[in-house]
Amino acid sequence: MTKKIRRLGLVVALVAGGAALVPLHADALPVGAPKLGMVCTPGTVSGSTHTFNLVANTGSISTPDGNDVLMWSYANGDAPDSGHFQSPGPVLCVTQGETVVVNLTNNLTEPTSILFPGQDAQVTASGGSAGLLTTEAAASGGTVSYSFAAGSPGSYLYESGTDVSKQVEMGLYGALVVRPTTGANFAYNSAATQFDPSREFVLLLAEIDPELHHAVETGGTYDINTLHNRYFTINGRSFPDTVQDNGSSLLPNQPYGALVRIQPNTASNTQPALVRMLNAGMLNHPFHPHGNHTREIAQDGRLLQNPAGTGSASTEHFGETIASGQTLDFLLRWDDVDSWNPVNNPFPVPPPNYRDVFFKDGNTYYSGSPYLGYSGTLPTGTVTQNVCGEWYFPLHSHALNEFTNFDEGFGGMGTLLRVDPPGGCFGVPSSTAIVGGTLKSGSVTALGLDDTTYYQVNPKTTTRPTATTAGQTTITVASAAGFPASGTFYVRIDSEVMAVTGGQGTTTWTVLRGQLGTAAATHAAGAAVSGLATDWYAGFTTVPAGAANLQVTYKGRNCANTTGTGCTAIAGNLPQQTVKICNWTVAGAAGCSGIMSAGWVTLPAPPAQPQAVGSTDVTSTWALPGPASAYVGTGANSGQVRVLVHTQRWTAPSPTPFSTWGNFMKIVYDAP
Amino acid sequence: MSGRERNGSLAMRALAFNKTRALLVVAVAAAGLAVTGSTASAAPVTIDLCASTGQVTMPDGATVDVWGFVQTGSCAPGLVNDGNFPGTPLSVNEGDAVTVNVTNALSTGHTLRFEVPGIAFDPGPTDAASGATVTRTFTASAPGTYQYQSGGDAGRQAAMGLSGALIVRPLTANQAYDTATTAYDVEATLILGAIDPNFNAAPDTFELHGYRAIYWLINGKAYPTPGITAAPGQRVLLRYVNAGFDNTAMLLLGMHQRVLARDARLLGNPFDASAETIPAGGTEDAIATVPATAPPSPNGFPLYNRQMHVTTGNAPTPTTPNPAYTPGGQLTFIHS
Repeated sequence: MTKKIRRLGLVVALVAGGAALVPLHADALPVGAPKLGMVCTPGTVSGSTHTFNLVANTGSISTPDGNDVLMWSYANGDAPDSGHFQSPGPVLCVTQGETVVVNLTNNLTEPTSILFPGQDAQVTASGGSAGLLTTEAAASGGTVSYSFAAGSPGSYLYESGTDVSKQVEMGLYGALVVRPTTGANFAYNSAATQFDPSREFVLLLAEIDPELHHAVETGGTYDINTLHNRYFTINGRSFPDTVQDNGSSLLPNQPYGALVRIQPNTASNTQPALVRMLNAGMLNHPFHPHGNHTREIAQDGRLLQNPAGTGSASTEHFGETIASGQTLDFLLRWDDVDSWNPVNNPFPVPPPNYRDVFFKDGNTYYSGSPYLGYSGTLPTGTVTQNVCGEWYFPLHSHALNEFTNFDEGFGGMGTLLRVDPPGGCFGVPSSTAIVGGTLKSGSVTALGLDDTTYYQVNPKTTTRPTATTAGQTTITVASAAGFPASGTFYVRIDSEVMAVTGGQGTTTWTVLRGQLGTAAATHAAGAAVSGLATDWYAGFTTVPAGAANLQVTYKGRNCANTTGTGCTAIAGNLPQQTVKICNWTVAGAAGCSGIMSAGWVTLPAPPAQPQAVGSTDVTSTWALPGPASAYVGTGANSGQVRVLVHTQRWTAPSPTPFSTWGNFMKIVYDAP
Repeated sequence: MSGRERNGSLAMRALAFNKTRALLVVAVAAAGLAVTGSTASAAPVTIDLCASTGQVTMPDGATVDVWGFVQTGSCAPGLVNDGNFPGTPLSVNEGDAVTVNVTNALSTGHTLRFEVPGIAFDPGPTDAASGATVTRTFTASAPGTYQYQSGGDAGRQAAMGLSGALIVRPLTANQAYDTATTAYDVEATLILGAIDPNFNAAPDTFELHGYRAIYWLINGKAYPTPGITAAPGQRVLLRYVNAGFDNTAMLLLGMHQRVLARDARLLGNPFDASAETIPAGGTEDAIATVPATAPPSPNGFPLYNRQMHVTTGNAPTPTTPNPAYTPGGQLTFIHS
């Protein structure tokens, strides 16, 4: 029990620590392998020949209850793995029509071999010697080479064909994926089998009777008829290890994770995930995804079709038996049919107050909010592994004894189906700050919804207490607050624009007169001094470290009036809008404090900036591909993202005021 | 039985049973691929079965007490042997009016109940007490593969071996059903069974929670057996009858098997399988076409229990390479 808790604690740490704690390369994974989803072992491609070098060897795996079990498996003989033990064997991905060569070196102390069930083309063997089911490699260093033309696309097992009742149970199995010629984002040569290639998963099921493995390890005796499985694995791991990343350093010999992670299908996310399920075990497993149905499209590498072969005979399931030796391919969509959200589509009844709920072990995957993409408040002391309101569903064998680790549950043949919010994790601002301008009306909550409420900012104004001559180049103002503390900026007095080139941050400014096509003029004492820009930023919080692929969406407009509730249209010479994000690595919080602070980075095109934004809402989304670490604050600003909106209007010859109306702002990111 | 010597040898066993029928019909059934275009015709058919006792020999030399259905002129205990276990496949034609006379040669107290799941019998007595005969009649209205069995002693009689295959042939020869997509060249009936000798030694008293089979049989035999003879390009009809107690996955290497029917009913959407699981008590019909290329093994294309019940008897020494207990069990080959 203590081991399990410790492991769960590590899961928490990994979720929190993200990529920083998880090496992106581990033994038995190619460099740069993704943390989630199927990882192909590359092999070597030469022309149309795809060669893999496998080594049958001995190693051990770790189980969540603290046990170690001796396994036999196939390792990748190529660098950088160079025979490093892994369970199960490498995922071999080939393309239909390729000649597949699998060279096997046998480091076991008895003969072994590889069968390729479902490959209907002839499997030619060279070297080795004829065995009962196929050609075998001799014990202790023997070799055999298998070659076949990759046949129909689909998911297949490969496994030992020697003393199978023992050797397959000992772990000599792996997955073979044949991709169609149509493309790697199709499961089969059928348009209906297109999937999102970033969401391709293999779930290889197996069982382990540690008594047999112990007997093999110690040279003891064991009656194969007494097989009584105690561990039930997906990709060589038992829950909760199954939800660890690919290549987790905690599981050096079990490189493949089994977390299935998807997003709801939307107009912009139309492709389903592909889940390839393979049962290398000897038992039939009733597999049960909670939540939505999954669509079974193929079995044993063959599309399920009507008798004429003209249409699909796929079926939808929330429980399906994966039989021994069988492979089934599923397209998994998530359709959020109700689209409940707490703001404008809440549940018709109030949800329970989760602070009154007891969470087992004080540990949960729950966000505290029943709404997808939203987090709530959990009881004090409860630790959540939730990142941004995503949902987790069990995806597991429904056989009670199989959802255990040596009879202790939950464990065994289970993993989680993680449903991220549409587009990824999202956040709306929790604070605003005006660094150039004054609040006209509204508050941060107006920015949280795409609706009819606006966060409205006017350019900063002050007064000049004394009269101004047409030639005067030093002027004194009543207050500098809200004007830029550095850099050249423009102000307007009556119909003249001046450029402030010195004395920024003080009340005595050095100015250039008659700028932007206006003429220098005299101004009476008490004249209003107005900025020609609005600058404000919104702050987001609780963005996790390790977030990636940040996107910023801003929707807003500008109006000609600075007072009143309506929006007076701007006819021409539209205000120019530039949206920037804080790069915390430049100068920390100080780098993103004022208008001219060095940390503000203009969001990269598309769309190009500045943008002309008039009195109709303009929605723009900028993407920052890759890790978002520079844009997420650390230390005292941990989890903060800041987005600045700068809007300026240089109007000549007769400058007029304007106001900036922010309707909606959000960030979306891939959570770690 | 020798599959190497006779095409369709498993179907040939249908010849052995004691029934009255136009000889032409029997010849069609026996000759298999050699006859095309002939049609069967409905007729009255009478089958005499004897539920008897006996012994069979396992490949490891053990002798096991079994019960079984045999066809004989005079029914008596002790008639079951390696040559007639399990019960002979019965073959009738679609539309036949079938009469089955079952005589019970089991010992006193073992009342026999003759059943064929999926077949509706005409009204009448169902049971035969020890020493008695029960007559059951039905019309073979739907082609397919069925399992006949005794439902006596709450399943213990079937577990002792009182079961077998019943094949209802469609009107068109060399088809499994009345559709051309079920045409075949070679027919093989595979009765999947298992034996726990401890149960067989004490069928009346054995505590069933302790049932643990150690013999895994196809048509009453563990590997090695002669296998299924079929030439490249021939379509092999595999009639699976699961007379055992586990859902059984049968893996065929080198070719997919097109699963056409389950429990004597055509599937709306046949599918291709490598490893197909046949539920205990169920039947399935699949057709596999033998490829022209060489098989993965000199023995042919392996067809075996993917749950790896390819061992015979107690298997005590897993660390010994190629131990005596393997290969055995539910393993056979399709070969030319």
